[in-house]
Amino acid sequence: MAYIISLPLLALLTILQSAVFNDLKLLDGRTDLILLFVVAWGIHGRSREAMIWGLAGGLFLDLLSGLPLGITSMILVLIAYLVSFTEGRFWEANFLMPMGVMMGASIVFHILSLSILFLLGKSIEMDYALVRIMLPSTFINLILALPATQLIKLLINSIYPPEVKI
Amino acid sequence: MRRIGTRTLLAVTLILLAAGILLLSEGGILQPVEDLILRPISSIQGWVAVRFSAIRDLINSPTDLAELRARNAELELEVAQLQQEIIGLQEQVAEAQILSSLLNYARSQPENRYMAANIIGKDTSPFIRSVWMDRGSDAGIQQGMPIVTERGLVGRVEEVFANGSRIQLITDPEIIVNVRLQNSRADGALAPQLSGEIWVDLIDQDVNIGPGELVLTSGLGGGYPSDIPVGEVISVRKRDYELFQQVVIQPSVDLDNLEIVLIITNFQPLPFETNP
Repeated sequence: MAYIISLPLLALLTILQSAVFNDLKLLDGRTDLILLFVVAWGIHGRSREAMIWGLAGGLFLDLLSGLPLGITSMILVLIAYLVSFTEGRFWEANFLMPMGVMMGASIVFHILSLSILFLLGKSIEMDYALVRIMLPSTFINLILALPATQLIKLLINSIYPPEVKI
Repeated sequence: MRRIGTRTLLAVTLILLAAGILLLSEGGILQPVEDLILRPISSIQGWVAVRFSAIRDLINSPTDLAELRARNAELELEVAQLQQEIIGLQEQVAEAQILSSLLNYARSQPENRYMAANIIGKDTSPFIRSVWMDRGSDAGIQQGMPIVTERGLVGRVEEVFANGSRIQLITDPEIIVNVRLQNSRADGALAPQLSGEIWVDLIDQDVNIGPGELVLTSGLGGGYPSDIPVGEVISVRKRDYELFQQVVIQPSVDLDNLEIVLIITNFQPLPFETNP
């Protein structure tokens, strides 16, 4: 059931990212819808699925990008894996936790993307990338962290309704 | 402990799977699969882009919006219908204006054959400057074909799929375009910066250049037809100890708001090498 809903949803989010959200910029930073989806899914304790969404979402993103197919998948799987370590911690219930995790995930996502572009021999201006892309994107992702986690929570609850004792 | 073990195993497996896909893709083996997946995605992307463009145009025209609001207060039902009609008509007028200017441009360049295409999306990575158009190999598009508007050069076709292609913009630091300054006749090469600023480098130190001078494609190297406007000089950077001088240019085309572009289909570019 999760696959039937999530895979088309990931494709739709990628299309929205390319056709709509890339025009809604803060400096040159934009929201990363797939990253929000994967991290929010992982925060709710479904880390295995989050890693699979990372693979699929990354492939969709790379299809609509000049990046080689598979690069973003590797980054997102790694991020979903790192997010899984937040499971079962004492601060898990804190309502600010999604914001902290999203900020960390966003920074790791951009640093890894930049590193891979650097390794591929692309021209990178670090000052520009940091100030005009990475920080604004992280800020937007941070703002959207709470709504995204709430929406994903609703989605997860509708796919996997909580068990009720009778 | 065991839970962490299986989780790590899954992460490693998925990363290796992604690496395998990367290798297969770089070898070109996955091209048919990419075509198959991109076909519906490009169609939906085009549909979404047109609707988003209509909504954006409506928001960006405050007088029309105020007028619609006033009418809405008087006749809610009628205006709801009119509003829909207006959005559609505004889009048609805007599209007709763009197509009309593109047609005039095409008529003024009879030696070239053109095909129009809609821009349907931007690159999903903020670090890569490219856009997507709704024409691909099904329409005869080939890699390297130059892309223009009536104002000047947009870029070149970088990647071709069945019903969509990726255009490398002239703001992409990887692009190679040989240019000529119109008045001073000096040759140079486009050197776009990641910040979006476009420089022209490799200009002889002895040449006198002033702001406002037009920069055109030179046709050298065989990558683009000659005499397509690229931009206008806004400042000159000349240092005595350097071999060459550079100029900063303002692109002729507003690359952030592209809607319809022209592909020059009868130009056969020579193979490119990427910037080191």
